[in-house]
Amino acid sequence: MQALQILVDGFAISALYALGAVGFTLIFGVSGVLNLSHGAIMVVAAMIAWYTAGSLHIGTYGGLVAGMAAGMITAFATYLLIVRPIQRSRAIAAEEKEIFVLTGTLLWGIMIQVLLAYAFTTNPISVRPLAPGVVNLVGVRTPVNEIVVAAVSWAVIGLLWLLVNRTRTGKALLAASINPRGLTLLGFELSRIYLLVWAIYGTLAGIAGVLLATFLGASSDNIGQLTASAFSIVVLGGLGSVSGSLIAAYVVGYLETMTAYLISPTIRSMPGLLLLVLVLYLRPQGLLGRR
Amino acid sequence: MAARATRVGLVALATVAVAATLPLWVSSYILGVLTLAYYFGVFAMSWDLLFGFAGEVNFGPTFLTGLGAYAAGMLNSFLNWPIVPCVIAGGVVALAGGVLLALPALKLHGPYFGLVTLNAVLLLQQLIVVFAGATGGEIGLTIPSVLSIDAGPNYEYALGFMAVSGALLYGLSRSPAGLILQASGQDSIEAAALGFNVTKHKLAAFCVSALFSGLAGAMLVFYLGTASVGSVVDIAVGVQVIIAAVLGGRRTILGAVIGAVFLLGAAEVLRPLGQLSTFVVSGIALLAILFFPNGLMGYALHGSER
Amino acid sequence: MSARPPLLAVNGITKRFGGLVAVKDLSFSIAPGEILGLIGPNGSGKSTAMKLIMGIERPNAGAVHVEGTNVAGWPTHRIARAGVGIVFQHSRPLHRQTVLENITLGLLPDSLLRLIADHTVTEKAIAIAERVGLAGVLHRRPSTLPFADLRRLELAKAIARDPKVVLVDEPFAGLTTAEVHSFSALIEAFRAEGRAVLLVDHNVKSVAALVDRVLAMYLGERIAEGSAEDVMRNETVRRVYLGGSIEIAQRPAASAKTGTPLLDVRGVSVLYGKAQALENVSLQVHEGEFVSVVGLNGAGKTTLFNAISGLVPYAGRIGWAGASLAGRTAGAIARTGIVQCPESRELFGEMTVRENLDLGGQHQEAAASARQLDWLLNLFPILKDRQGQTARTLSGGEQQMLAIARALMMQPKLLILDEPTLGLAPVILEQISKALELLRNTTPITVLLGEQNVTFALPHADRVYVLEHARIVWEGDPGRFAREAGVGYL
Repeated sequence: MQALQILVDGFAISALYALGAVGFTLIFGVSGVLNLSHGAIMVVAAMIAWYTAGSLHIGTYGGLVAGMAAGMITAFATYLLIVRPIQRSRAIAAEEKEIFVLTGTLLWGIMIQVLLAYAFTTNPISVRPLAPGVVNLVGVRTPVNEIVVAAVSWAVIGLLWLLVNRTRTGKALLAASINPRGLTLLGFELSRIYLLVWAIYGTLAGIAGVLLATFLGASSDNIGQLTASAFSIVVLGGLGSVSGSLIAAYVVGYLETMTAYLISPTIRSMPGLLLLVLVLYLRPQGLLGRR
Repeated sequence: MAARATRVGLVALATVAVAATLPLWVSSYILGVLTLAYYFGVFAMSWDLLFGFAGEVNFGPTFLTGLGAYAAGMLNSFLNWPIVPCVIAGGVVALAGGVLLALPALKLHGPYFGLVTLNAVLLLQQLIVVFAGATGGEIGLTIPSVLSIDAGPNYEYALGFMAVSGALLYGLSRSPAGLILQASGQDSIEAAALGFNVTKHKLAAFCVSALFSGLAGAMLVFYLGTASVGSVVDIAVGVQVIIAAVLGGRRTILGAVIGAVFLLGAAEVLRPLGQLSTFVVSGIALLAILFFPNGLMGYALHGSER
Repeated sequence: MSARPPLLAVNGITKRFGGLVAVKDLSFSIAPGEILGLIGPNGSGKSTAMKLIMGIERPNAGAVHVEGTNVAGWPTHRIARAGVGIVFQHSRPLHRQTVLENITLGLLPDSLLRLIADHTVTEKAIAIAERVGLAGVLHRRPSTLPFADLRRLELAKAIARDPKVVLVDEPFAGLTTAEVHSFSALIEAFRAEGRAVLLVDHNVKSVAALVDRVLAMYLGERIAEGSAEDVMRNETVRRVYLGGSIEIAQRPAASAKTGTPLLDVRGVSVLYGKAQALENVSLQVHEGEFVSVVGLNGAGKTTLFNAISGLVPYAGRIGWAGASLAGRTAGAIARTGIVQCPESRELFGEMTVRENLDLGGQHQEAAASARQLDWLLNLFPILKDRQGQTARTLSGGEQQMLAIARALMMQPKLLILDEPTLGLAPVILEQISKALELLRNTTPITVLLGEQNVTFALPHADRVYVLEHARIVWEGDPGRFAREAGVGYL
């Protein structure tokens, strides 16, 4: 029945969105950056995974690793080439830094998008599913891969939770998002923490991109929409709140799935956008926002 | 400083006078590029007024230009209104859109407002696609009337429109009203302490910016002969508007035109690169942000003084 | 004073920020041609009171009458148009406009339609500039002006508004004696013109010559009102600002400290924009010593500590165990053993007490860290009880103890404490005082304490420095301080 189909598909899509959104929130919470090249990083990972798996013959799993690495490298490049120089620039006034970083990451995202289109054309690619076959889940014929995508997404989110809440490094990251100056006074080097956070973010975005490629396919044309979804979710959930992002991811994920099935796939992102406008008018700090 | 404004005004006037003679000795291809650049210049000047003076970053200027363009285009296409009323109507519709955008702006700050503007463009895009019957959807709307079929007159229309808009916007920026706007944008608490209703002035800035964006969008549509998402609504177009204003120099108003001419000129020069031309242009803009945040005219006027 | 109706009458205003009451039932009035001084340390509520009058914050209760009209709750711009002008503590010029344009702004009506410049307005602006002494820099940008000129610009803007009531925040902070003189003259001119003036400051001394009356505030409430001399002599005021009568507790005689000082600050100067926050400050701390730096808010203690901790750039030399600290990051300096517990505490509010302490111990070896944690939880038993509680929900005193404990988790060689007693109740002060004494007697720790509460600062100290207006003005042992400097301190 269609309702169950929506339930199952929506769950998997939302899980994927959640993974991407959690990374986006992490970067904002710790580094203070709204990264508008987020979608580009995900699609780079997807395309590298596809390219290496196929043309370089290293197999699906090799491709996945390569894709993740590509995500991390691109994220690092974003931080070192764009974000950090702008943040440290003396020519830009302090109040304007945020806006310049936003514009800088937007431009960088466009540059990556054009490069990808040039190198791989805009035809959607897909990576071979991680696990073949189809099962019957609550009466719905679901590809095993879809279940794997949801499972992996949640596993990674779980690992991240463990990292942040149970390890010393993770606690330092959390502290950096609460009070960077306090952390400096305790002898931590913030510059190293930022590098770590971007590395983690790159890995998360990389995994999300690769999973996306196995599940729905990817193309450079998706980049804008991926970034838009991520920041809609993150703003909805509350900038800086990881649990807020998780909840919002499911709200948006299900809204999109329902729209795609019940109305039309071409305007799937519209209810999310409308919801975002509503939230920004009525409760700009989002569901669980801190800042 | 009044002396400098007069100097700038005279130089600008002289440049316009020279530019008006271009059709006599320049190819129609170049005239075409410049025509487009002039309309873009008005988009960018309107953006600069909002950003530079009211302190609000509009990440979706094409929301306003798109509203103006499609309103004018649809009125001409379905109701056969003549050009001038269509253009005025386009300006009015964009004005209404500007007020709509202003309402959250006056409550939100920083990245939140930018996100609302970005959202507005995405929503408009979706709406155009959904109501493809009325708007022509992704393909676009064909406009029966055009300003002219010759490059020369089109060029002069664009130049004239740009010159008048520029004069009005620049004059506004240098007037006492403009001074109050700048204060509102730079330090709203201080502006309030000096007795100014910041909300009122920012709303006015939105209205002016929206009006000119809408008028320019409408004029553009009657030049191109079509209204399409790709030419007046797309985020990529919006980004180009922002780049033009930033490259030219924020808060100079006139610099935005220089930025637009430079940007569109560079895009033409790089056309042989095909898709990569966007890459190169974005790259140049990125380098400008990193190393020359004050833009071309910004440096010409103030050097590296903060 | 003739019985003229007051230009400004504040009646029972109260302001709450969440659970904190910043201003409690405050009332006062100012007649035309009168200057009232509103005095209090950080956290006393004086700045909030000023913001309430100007409409930058809305009072939860009470009224603010300007010439009879209640403006409480009005938006700032309406209150400004009703005749209230403000000179902020920190200059806020429009950086992209010239001096003349900045002053002109003060003369413009709130109209959308003024599209042509009016030359009478420009002439008026020039006249005002001449009056405050800015005639020579009319067409310069604020970033090129010295500090005093920026303050003059603030006064010029206020004059341009032609207000009935003028609020001035810390009028003389950062000015030289000569500049103080000319500024006083300008403020006196306000009085002569029949305006009502409110001077807000943390130090009675600096405004005593100018004011007709003084109102002293503490923790949001009025504690004294009268002439400047009366207020300075008032028992409650002295107790609350100074911490009571100055006593020196019996301490083991400090052995003479010789040899290379552990911390050697030489000729350090710090500029915040244009303001001289520290001027040629020199100070030494030997190993095992307890040195107190005494000074009021704004004297420069925090700036000094931030320079030592590597958080602000400075000119001069800071040496640690013989080597210069220049070039090291703030994190590296902390790891070297110089640990600061700042005035703002900088706790991780959303994390628990235990998590805060654990982060303090992260760079230490695990076993040593565990021992230190144990020791600290015994030193501050209340933290032991509240280990699992979120730091944000602790009381002020508990937060201060947590901040000190967290700093001690780093096993510092030098512990810098910045105003640990600010806003705390005497009972808590006792506990902290005892903890510091225990620390001194049982560990080889070196302490640098910055305080305005002299009663707290003296008993533990081996030596005392007095910091006033960015300069060290006195140095010696606590006994001498009680005899020499104590009396004229307030």
